[in-house]
Amino acid sequence: MSTATLLASRLLSERWRLPLWIGGITLLTAASSTAVLAQFADPEEQRVLLLAAAANPAFRFLRGLPIGIGTGELVFFQIFTYLAALAGLMSTFLVVRHTRGDEDSGRTELIAATPLRRTAPVATALGTAVVANLVLGVTVALGLALPGLPWRGSVLTGSAVAVSGLVFAGIAAVAAQVLPTSRAANGAAAATVGLAYLLRGIGDAMAQPDERFVTRESGWPSWLSPIGWGQRVEAYQTDNPLPLAIGIATAVLLGAVAVAVAARRDLGASLVRERAGRERARGSLRSPLALVWRLSWPSLVGWAIGAAFLGTVAGLLAPSVADAIGSNAQFLELIRRLIPGSTAGLLDLFVAAILGMAGFLAAAAGAQATMRMRAEEADGRAELLLAAPVGRARWMVAFLAVAVASVAAVLVPAGVAAAVAFAAVGEQDRTGSSLAAAAAQVPAALVFVGLTALVFAVLPRLTVPVAWTLLGVSLILGEYGTILQLPEWMQDMSPFRHTSAIPAEDLDAGGVLALLAVALATATLAVLLFRRRDLAV
Amino acid sequence: MSVIEVHDLRKSFGRTAALTGLDLEVRPGEVHGFLGPNGAGKSTTIRILLGLLRADGGTVTVLGRDPWRDAVHVHRGLAYVPGDVSLWPNLSGGEVIDLLTRLRGGADEALLRRLVEDFEFDPRKRSRSYSRGNRQKVALIAAFARPAELYVLDEPTSGLDPLMDEVFRRHIERVRDEGAAVLLSSHMLAEVERLCDRVTIIRSGVDVETGTLQELRHLTRTTFRLTGADEAAARALPGAHEPRSGGDWVEFDVDAADVPAVLAGVAALRPAGLTVAPPSLEELFLHHYGDRP
Repeated sequence: MSTATLLASRLLSERWRLPLWIGGITLLTAASSTAVLAQFADPEEQRVLLLAAAANPAFRFLRGLPIGIGTGELVFFQIFTYLAALAGLMSTFLVVRHTRGDEDSGRTELIAATPLRRTAPVATALGTAVVANLVLGVTVALGLALPGLPWRGSVLTGSAVAVSGLVFAGIAAVAAQVLPTSRAANGAAAATVGLAYLLRGIGDAMAQPDERFVTRESGWPSWLSPIGWGQRVEAYQTDNPLPLAIGIATAVLLGAVAVAVAARRDLGASLVRERAGRERARGSLRSPLALVWRLSWPSLVGWAIGAAFLGTVAGLLAPSVADAIGSNAQFLELIRRLIPGSTAGLLDLFVAAILGMAGFLAAAAGAQATMRMRAEEADGRAELLLAAPVGRARWMVAFLAVAVASVAAVLVPAGVAAAVAFAAVGEQDRTGSSLAAAAAQVPAALVFVGLTALVFAVLPRLTVPVAWTLLGVSLILGEYGTILQLPEWMQDMSPFRHTSAIPAEDLDAGGVLALLAVALATATLAVLLFRRRDLAV
Repeated sequence: MSVIEVHDLRKSFGRTAALTGLDLEVRPGEVHGFLGPNGAGKSTTIRILLGLLRADGGTVTVLGRDPWRDAVHVHRGLAYVPGDVSLWPNLSGGEVIDLLTRLRGGADEALLRRLVEDFEFDPRKRSRSYSRGNRQKVALIAAFARPAELYVLDEPTSGLDPLMDEVFRRHIERVRDEGAAVLLSSHMLAEVERLCDRVTIIRSGVDVETGTLQELRHLTRTTFRLTGADEAAARALPGAHEPRSGGDWVEFDVDAADVPAVLAGVAALRPAGLTVAPPSLEELFLHHYGDRP
């Protein structure tokens, strides 16, 4: 086997997963650029929106720097930081899967026994990441240029997304060499993506707008972030490709470090050692539920920390949003056009939007916990439990219970953190509505638990891709459905559309009941159907 | 009453027929070998016996019940060791053993300690760092640490070294002497020959032969090896098949029915040395799979 064969086999093994990532990110890009071009064609509206954003640290924190008042600048401001973070996550999981992941499963041992260099597995994993990010860069550029944005800025944006992805691929490659398991490497590298997003957010929030309300100088923390470097290309404004060099140099350096470590260490070894486990199990580890909890609680803690952070942002930054743009009538008018029929205040809309994000995260957490069933089945661990006196229903209900707990692990910290943060900035009267806003997200998230379980019961081998696709499509329908002017019935397919955006909207009891009924029905059907099917390895 | 009764079992996966009319009977107090090459349908059969897969046709009774409809009830009386043991990477071996035995009602603590000692098993390591043999030890210890009526073992020793193989044999004999039944699937003839009272041979999804080793021996020949005898005379003995020789020895195979006659003929040749070997299961296998050596 040659190195080229190994690279080809890695790409072949990604023929389903990578297109899903790249397609999803591209779809988001195209939806966003199309929406901006269609909705904010009036330069005066664009100016108002960008001025409002420039004046407001909370907006800059969440999105980026408003670098200019053209359509291209508006799109770049709105979406680049998301795209860079998504490219980072795609690259992280890709590289870890093919390095430490293969090592965990013993595949690397097979490769190591062939006449390839010891560094070939890492080198080809990085090669796969290069191919993936190049393709992503091209499709993102097309997703921007084809709807009508200038080519130069679009190509530069695509390049900046690809380079950000490559830096995170390098970070993931080093993490995979240093940490003992793929789970640890994925966690550490994905947390780096989050940190990069946070650092540039703080930097952008610290920025001072100039007299024309254009903000091109962010604070120093942004310079510590690969996503921040990407923003410096200022696509559609100065179109400066030089900052890409920082990212490329960093990616090459990180890749070289990973290859150097791989060349020197034993197979399966890591710099960070693992502690010994327990000789005997705790007394409580005596049921499927106890086992699933034991397996899942670390990811629940991770979700809870992220959600608490999001809630804190909502509470701490919301008042400054209101102060900065609450007096701008034109801007309020724009917001009302995005959420038809709403007469809510700006602050309410901001809180509803942030907790809506928490609702999406909760759905993702619930779906992910439910998907664990598929990994257990495919790896043969389900067989070990189901050959003991454990019924199929009891086994599945254990996973569903922990999935419901995962939903709570996102929404409870998000709501409580928002309430506490509001209290801290002197908005005590918003405590109740923050908790209510978080609670309103529960039914839609539970629908994704039920749907994922149903997919697992009916199409076990496709559980993971189908469940993520359902979530992604629902997000796009729910978030962009109005802007893209999709037919009402199509938008209504998304469970997120039936979530009440408290405090901007009143609680829609019918929607809550319908969502809960769907969640319960899908989960029950999943249990019934799972009892009737063969285990599928 | 039999512990396992399978009649005319059929199972297909899509267009692939995995089982095409399998019969299998396992009685209390016997170690039953389930012998066949890889892909013959051994694991599929076992998964049906455990109620993990549903039979397309035929009847299956395990411990007196239908394993698909009464899976939980059937599982109370049995212990299972899968062929390829996969464990929860973050749990230690000791934790997995405790979990699996507790689900079946709790381990016999003295027995558990003895098993951990016998198998020289370190229960503190995380499962992800165990070798294949060590993962198998986890499943074996968990299976043997609590008495069961039936032990279902799917190629359980493929990762064990010879010393551990011996420990495994001792525990198989122990549970058999306590009256339990054991179904032991294997593609290793020596293992089945050493451990099993009766054998079912499976090939391409159907049983081709069942019986005690004694009964199956009738199906093949006995090998005679003579030293210091006249080679030409030995080759000419009536009933001697496929003679071969080298140096001062000559070897040939004899049908079971011809053994007494050949023995008399051999005595007349006054050989200096004589070995008469029963056929190994290797030869039994060649008999059944002769069309693909």
